[in-house]
Amino acid sequence: MPLKYAYHPGNASHSSATEVAETMEPAAKSLGIELIPLQGATSCGAGIIRQASRRLQLTLNARTFAMAEQMGLDIITPCAATAGNLHEDLHTLKSDPNLLGEINDVLERTCGRRFNGEINVHHLLHVIVDEIGLDKLESLVLNPIDFDVAGFYGPNIQQEGACGNDDIHDPSYLEQAVAAMGGSPVHWESRTQSVGVPGLFSEEPTVLRQAASVLSEAKHEGADIIVSACNLSHTVLDIYQGKASQATGLATNIPVIHLTEMLAFALGHHNSRLAQLRTRVAVIGD
Amino acid sequence: MSIFSVYIEDGCITCDACEEAAPDVFEVTDDTCFIKPDARIDGGYDRNTEKSGLKPDVISTLSDDIMDAADACPVDVIILVEESEGDVPESEFVEVAEPEVESVVEETDEPAEGLEGLLSSGDRTLNILFGSQSGNSEELAAKFAKRAPDYGLEATVHDMDGFDLSSLSSMKRVLIICSTWGEGDMPDNAEDLWVEASSDSTPRLEKTFFSVLALGDTSYELFCESGKDWDERLEQLGATRLVDRVDCDVDYDAAAEAWALDALAAMAAVDANGTFLEDQIETIKDYVSGSTVVVAGEDGFTVPSIEADAVQVEISIFRYNPEQATTGRDTWVCALPGNLSVMEALRALKDTHDGSLTFRDGPDDDPTTAISVNGRLILPGCVSIDSAASTRGDSLQLRIEPLPAFDVIRDLVVDLWPLERSRESAEPWMIAATRQGANTSQGVIGTMDPAVADLLHSITDFCSAPLLHSSSDATPHSDDYMGPAVLARTWARMNDPRSSARSISEMQELMDSQSGIKAETDFASIRRQNASSRIISDALLDARTSTLGRDAFNGRHGKHVWWYSWSVKSSGRVNDTVLYRQVLGPLGLFGNLFSGVTARMVLGFTRTGGNVFNGMLGMVAPPAGIGKMPKQFNSSVDNHHEVVAIFNEVDGRF
Repeated sequence: MPLKYAYHPGNASHSSATEVAETMEPAAKSLGIELIPLQGATSCGAGIIRQASRRLQLTLNARTFAMAEQMGLDIITPCAATAGNLHEDLHTLKSDPNLLGEINDVLERTCGRRFNGEINVHHLLHVIVDEIGLDKLESLVLNPIDFDVAGFYGPNIQQEGACGNDDIHDPSYLEQAVAAMGGSPVHWESRTQSVGVPGLFSEEPTVLRQAASVLSEAKHEGADIIVSACNLSHTVLDIYQGKASQATGLATNIPVIHLTEMLAFALGHHNSRLAQLRTRVAVIGD
Repeated sequence: MSIFSVYIEDGCITCDACEEAAPDVFEVTDDTCFIKPDARIDGGYDRNTEKSGLKPDVISTLSDDIMDAADACPVDVIILVEESEGDVPESEFVEVAEPEVESVVEETDEPAEGLEGLLSSGDRTLNILFGSQSGNSEELAAKFAKRAPDYGLEATVHDMDGFDLSSLSSMKRVLIICSTWGEGDMPDNAEDLWVEASSDSTPRLEKTFFSVLALGDTSYELFCESGKDWDERLEQLGATRLVDRVDCDVDYDAAAEAWALDALAAMAAVDANGTFLEDQIETIKDYVSGSTVVVAGEDGFTVPSIEADAVQVEISIFRYNPEQATTGRDTWVCALPGNLSVMEALRALKDTHDGSLTFRDGPDDDPTTAISVNGRLILPGCVSIDSAASTRGDSLQLRIEPLPAFDVIRDLVVDLWPLERSRESAEPWMIAATRQGANTSQGVIGTMDPAVADLLHSITDFCSAPLLHSSSDATPHSDDYMGPAVLARTWARMNDPRSSARSISEMQELMDSQSGIKAETDFASIRRQNASSRIISDALLDARTSTLGRDAFNGRHGKHVWWYSWSVKSSGRVNDTVLYRQVLGPLGLFGNLFSGVTARMVLGFTRTGGNVFNGMLGMVAPPAGIGKMPKQFNSSVDNHHEVVAIFNEVDGRF
């Protein structure tokens, strides 16, 4: 019986990271995950909207939770930032009945919805390890990812209660998943570091140094590629890696792909893209 | 205290207090108080000024009442005679009290069996004499005296100035800590005692065990001369040296600690009879270090020793040698009790494997000792190795690093001065406003709403400022950022109703500056550390909201938040194109064009294998629409009107 989840695609897959949308669905299908689109879900806020108004972001996400609850499904997302932000707001609402009541009043007035606190939010990685099982993942692999892979978690899902049964500070789920897909996981310290996405536009010099630090450590530890569980962090690690190198003088050129891409490739989807990735690793280097 | 007799001195005021407390012993007459005949061995009925002994059954059953009576006497005329005290007739002593006395003597002189018996029975006094000119010896004496109870010793610290030398011969255990002043001189407070001790009439110290800690300065010709003099003189007087003298240079902490470990254990191994049990020293050391099984906690007050099985531990520690400018890691594999704290594990490694290992040592809750273990920022004295480590295979693995946001001085020791300078620049003192006090039963005092007080305390209730500073992933990479520890305290003072308006204004200026709250790039890195950091992260988010509001969402920070929210209101989804254009502006986009960012966006399809053209609109005006380029226009989410309604209801600014 397939696992069924309400699917929140995150903030970037509809626009600048369409490759996530293109690889998530086939990968989920191979893994036996049925994705039911949350068509009305808004951006999770990415920690940005709450800087203007904490209650505004809470209310928007409460609406998303209410829709999933109406579907009777937990939420799944491939983006660590979305998983982390949704989890944080979900925890806030569940732990404060008075606040939940006030938010529900607004939801009822504006949307005719209510949220009763009966859903949970999961990142794809945790569903694979905790629900599907690494043995099953390994058995489904058609194209082993025979690279040295540095798994990047980012800080958003490495929060208490948001990372399944994994260790908050010293996680291993991504490394286990990489190994199950035939890759050689690289152990490195920066895998839970923030690359400063919320400050990309405003604190660019700092963000570039943060990104360069992460990228250069992955290279230094011998990684061929970085696989990112966070779609927003991927934006900085991929698009800004040249600028990060210019700003710091560190070697930062390394291919960075999404977890959904690696899964799809390993499970036999988009073979031409995997071939393209092999060329990047072997020849181009970024 | 064991009572032998009781009598009444002159001056009784017949208040009846004693009779009420012990009616079987005391009887108040018209003008004084008598000890009843049934309570006395001699059967007399008077004030018992002859100090006749009390009957054994009276002593065994009514001693507490008798002592209560003595305490209750307002004029203190009830005198209690202890067993060895008083002019007791020989016949009475032999006849009745002797068996009791013998029994007591046996209990006193015969140590109870086992380690606990040794450390808890009989005379356990330890006398620490200090000769000090600048206070260092005195400080060490006090420090080691506090540690003495761990060894089952009752320590008394004596200033050498005014010390009665004749009492030394009756002391079983003596530690001397003495500095040297100038060219081999005794410190001022030790001069007189030394003169006295040097004379021929000084009593012998055959029953005294001792050890000497000498403080000095190697830059003087006569190094630690005073300590050497005491060491030699006590030996001449017949005292037994248990631990060799240790001579300390100006950096005396480590050497003094090592001496104390040996000296206190050796003193503890001297039993109540004055016998030195050398074979017990190692057992005592194990006992004190906590590795011996000890049953405690049954009294409800002491914390029980928590036992844990020894586990295989692989400890990998970052090393940095500034002299040779080399970095690397050292790894040790060893078996340690799982409940050992990380700090204790570091100490053990330093003591037994590598004396050059450098880390900040201190009390368990010393905030400056913070380090990183497996990516977790901790105070090593407060965290056991089995809770800090990850289990990989059959062993625990600890990767120990210095705090990330600071320059490393050596190994795990970092330079905390930048944080102190940042704190200093924030002017962390309270400048209070003049306020109306509240009339209370204790006078007019300032008050604070409990909820506000609770909030302010929670914001600043973090165990270690360096640890919190390091929890931000932005601090190691930002030139100016003051860091979350400084800003959390500033935010607390900004919200403290006692702060003056001018002070708050200055703090707002600091908070709004480029080194203030805007410089934090991601609160998630702070939030994930622990429960306390979640509260602080929320407080810092409030500070950011406050700053953005004061700036009316101007500048890149404000525009980013404003246009992100605006685009979500517009379609339910974030529109990256809007952000790039509105936040970065033409100059920013131009900069991206030359730094390769735009090229990587345009050529995104070469990395993803995606479609070259996402939509013709993307060609109109970059950045929009090709490969990894964001779309110019989003399609709206279902029921988009609900999103707009929520915005209008909750925050009408967008």
